[in-house]
Amino acid sequence: MAEKDFTLEKITGDLTHHIRLNKGFLAWMGFLTISLLVCLYAYSLQLKNGLGVAGIRDYVSWGMYLSNFVFFVASSLIGMLISAFLGLIGMKWITPLTRIAETIAVAFAAVAGLVIVSDMGRPERLANVFIYARFQSPILWDVTVITTYFVLSLLLLFLPMIADLAIIQRKVTTLPAWLRTVYKVLSLNYRDTPEQNRIIHRSIRILLILIIPAALSIHTVTSWLFAVTSRAGWDSTIFGPYFVSGAFVAGTAAVILAMFFFRKNYKLSDYLTDLHFNNMGKVLATVSLVYLYFNLNEFLVPGYKLKRADAVHLHELLAGKDALLFWFVQIGGLLLPILFMLFRRFRKPVPITIIAVAVLIAAWFKRYLIVIPTQEHPFLPIQHIPENFLHYTPTLTETLISIAPFLLVLIIITLILKFFPVIPLQETAKEKGVEPFIFD
Amino acid sequence: MEENDPIRPQQESEKSPSSRRDFLKNLGLAGVCVAAGGAALYSGHIFEAKKEGSGEQRVLLTQDGKLVKVDSLEIKAHEKTGTEQYQYLGREGIAGRRWVMVVDLSHCRNARRCITACQEAHHLRPEQYHINTLQMQDTPNTAPYHMPKNCQHCDNPPCVSVCPVDATYKRQDGIVLIDNERCIGCRFCIAACPYSARIFNWIEPKDAAQDEGLDYNVELNVPQKLGTVSKCLFSADRLREEKLPYCVSACPNGVYYFGDENEDAVTNGTTKETVRLSKLLRDNGGYQLMPELGTKPRVYYLPPKNRLFPFENQPDETPTKA
Amino acid sequence: MRKRNLFIVLTGLTLSFPFMGMSQTWDVPADQKEVVAPFKFTPGIQKQGEQIYSKNCHSCHGNPGKNDWAKLTPPPGDLSAVKAQQQTDGEWFYKITTGKAPMPEFRNVLSEDERWWVVAFLRSFNPGYIQPEPVAKKVFTGRVVTLNLTFDSTQKQVIVKAYDMLQDKRKAPAAGVEVELLVKRYFGNLTMGSPVTTNTQGIAKFTFPGDLPAQRDGFSELVARVLDPKGLMQTTPDTLRIAAGKSNDQPSLLETRAWWSVRSKAPVWIILTYTLSVLIVWGFIIYILLSMVKIYKSGKLK
Repeated sequence: MAEKDFTLEKITGDLTHHIRLNKGFLAWMGFLTISLLVCLYAYSLQLKNGLGVAGIRDYVSWGMYLSNFVFFVASSLIGMLISAFLGLIGMKWITPLTRIAETIAVAFAAVAGLVIVSDMGRPERLANVFIYARFQSPILWDVTVITTYFVLSLLLLFLPMIADLAIIQRKVTTLPAWLRTVYKVLSLNYRDTPEQNRIIHRSIRILLILIIPAALSIHTVTSWLFAVTSRAGWDSTIFGPYFVSGAFVAGTAAVILAMFFFRKNYKLSDYLTDLHFNNMGKVLATVSLVYLYFNLNEFLVPGYKLKRADAVHLHELLAGKDALLFWFVQIGGLLLPILFMLFRRFRKPVPITIIAVAVLIAAWFKRYLIVIPTQEHPFLPIQHIPENFLHYTPTLTETLISIAPFLLVLIIITLILKFFPVIPLQETAKEKGVEPFIFD
Repeated sequence: MEENDPIRPQQESEKSPSSRRDFLKNLGLAGVCVAAGGAALYSGHIFEAKKEGSGEQRVLLTQDGKLVKVDSLEIKAHEKTGTEQYQYLGREGIAGRRWVMVVDLSHCRNARRCITACQEAHHLRPEQYHINTLQMQDTPNTAPYHMPKNCQHCDNPPCVSVCPVDATYKRQDGIVLIDNERCIGCRFCIAACPYSARIFNWIEPKDAAQDEGLDYNVELNVPQKLGTVSKCLFSADRLREEKLPYCVSACPNGVYYFGDENEDAVTNGTTKETVRLSKLLRDNGGYQLMPELGTKPRVYYLPPKNRLFPFENQPDETPTKA
Repeated sequence: MRKRNLFIVLTGLTLSFPFMGMSQTWDVPADQKEVVAPFKFTPGIQKQGEQIYSKNCHSCHGNPGKNDWAKLTPPPGDLSAVKAQQQTDGEWFYKITTGKAPMPEFRNVLSEDERWWVVAFLRSFNPGYIQPEPVAKKVFTGRVVTLNLTFDSTQKQVIVKAYDMLQDKRKAPAAGVEVELLVKRYFGNLTMGSPVTTNTQGIAKFTFPGDLPAQRDGFSELVARVLDPKGLMQTTPDTLRIAAGKSNDQPSLLETRAWWSVRSKAPVWIILTYTLSVLIVWGFIIYILLSMVKIYKSGKLK
């Protein structure tokens, strides 16, 4: 039986009315494009003059670009958690969130690949990675798994959407003809036949299973970029799960943020209800607790032994130069969110979104703290070098280049969720028990 | 990221829907697996086969007038010139040698002649060190000393392990080199090196204009290339000419010994005196830097005991920002 | 009690030992003091000396007259100062040749002429200096000694025979000649053991150390030469290639498959794991892409 107030007409209308070229969208895209052009100009400076335009030098040779990369890989992991993990264990409430989560996964995974190119001294030699691919290097593994995860996420975004595309093509008559042709091509002649549904269902099933190891791999391999070295702060056996659990925290926050935005702007409060925010709050609390557990291991165990290099590293983090940032990240981005998420009233849309923003900012700085401080105190003393080699300070050009990927992610998410329904149409209709859509 | 990974070229053919029947498809997939696995191992086999040779030996006359026996597979027309020739020699290394350096800390007084000689030879800026002397003090109660530190040319080099493109590699004679024409500038090697021995060309290299058009020599890292990593090369180009490395010859204080571990002999760069490596290390308590990391360095240190020069806390001669 | 006193004395001696070098003067044998240069110190020669000086001496001794020598113990001092310039040319020549820690020896680094050039350069800072009349290398009148190297492979002994070349071109065993044996290494010759003085038959025997690696081909190249610091003899060294020495057929360092080796020498399991995982996952991806084609085809209206 259909839920009260829901009809097929209403659902189709609610979930597709945002598919149009309105002024707000054009203005937003214009702003993003112009900002991106400014950032690309900064990148052209780097292409011309070398990586020296950034603040990185011989000792801290991985800076903001790399911590940005880790952040992007981390955020992309959420697609797997929502669709595959929660989906496979039979959580029904995730239906309206899957597309948002997959879109975030696709956007962040695609851009993560570009971020790493911006960190290369010789980007024009990117093909070397494939020509001379060295099986022993975690970079090859990373490139491989990120490409794979991106393709899997893209498929997992697309396959459940085929039916929706067929509906839009038939139902949303206000669209220009060319756009309807695009939907027609993309809908792959979908006519709701048992044969088609069987193939789609089986394909999605395969993808949901494959994406779990792929997602775990991307962040585990990314953590190995650090963990395979001997440096204090990176030389850790739990770096894989530490990174993966951290990624879930960042990704959950990103999804909450996106939920809030689309609910408000696309008027989806009938579909993204308080229940969803409430449940996401519980998810956030759970993954944060797991992350807290790994944090405890990561700092307490070396802190107990205080081996020489570890002692310096921990001192700088906990009480030294980076202490302010460190405690902001740990308290503001981890402890307080856990605490707030325990109370129902903070799991309402507005408070939880504010907390998600804090978590996301803290997540970015957390990556910064993982990447940079370790390099500032290697095993041997740093001597006879200019002052700017000693401490890492990002430059303006570098900051602009680091902003570019965020703009790109926003552009991709905006475009995907502008032209495709944010909430899965057919599935929602099915769940609400309304009359099914008849495909001629 | 692109997905045309050359180690999976077989997928291209798989993309065309050849048959609708699942059976054929599965068969095809299995075939691809076998083919790719085989191809991956094949390169390794070629490497082995090349080493074992054809068994057919030829006698040749070398440039320095020696008769040598060479496997007929190894004989190649010698037409390589310039960079190509440098690349060939640079990847090959000198057969039968295992270079080793001994640094006598009791002799070092931070004259820094090694550094200037090195930077001149490799066209480096003043803040770019293939070798640097560090002021060390192991514990608060032990005496400070000067320690020259260059690439340790490890036998288990962490930097080489992580390189995605074989740009940095270890040669049969023990030297770890970097090919600036292949390096993609990812700096994973810099992150992996526990001795902070690697540097990067962040900005246009010092002599870029004057080195324009010069054949790139992988054994010298000259011309230096923007956006790539550079490091100590044990002066691989000099060793080929039976000359000691630039830093070793430049030292005025007899700090450095350099030689071939296989010959059990090292020669002092200042006095040109040749001594037995094993005896030198045994008699003077030779040790390695951070051996607990398992990197197996090819550089040994003699402890700074009975120092010939008192420790002078010289002002840090920091070069100004480039 | 007595034992304790002895202990204190010994300890005191041991402790003061490192400082003895500082207070000790650098004694040069009398006959070496008298040695004079074999050529005139012309401005050209002094210029050449300056080059040698700046390369080998400057880093410790600094610029003569500028008091910028390195702060060492004992201090190198100003070589243009009166005290330094009071030394004879022979003394300087001797000190450059032999060195005395921390000053390195230059006997293997600089030729005799080059050492004299340095002396010439240093004298240019002394306006009052008058060079003693140069004594060209004496026309040789003493012994002419040739050496002959043989190897007794059963005894592992290297036998050096020294001969005096007599006036009538006959050879006679040369007794009392100090001989040293060296073995060739890549960057220089390695002295084997200590020098041996020939016996009455003109023979000096050296034991070839069994643990010394041969060259890669299994041979060792030996050099025997007469030690004649005073230049009393005219000598000819001898060389010999012998099939002796520890095997030096070390494998290349790239023998084994390893993480750090080149791509083609990667561990087999990592190649297989990587390739198989990629193929399996991408096989599924391709399967799904083909499924999409199927969806498209099955949806076509007939």
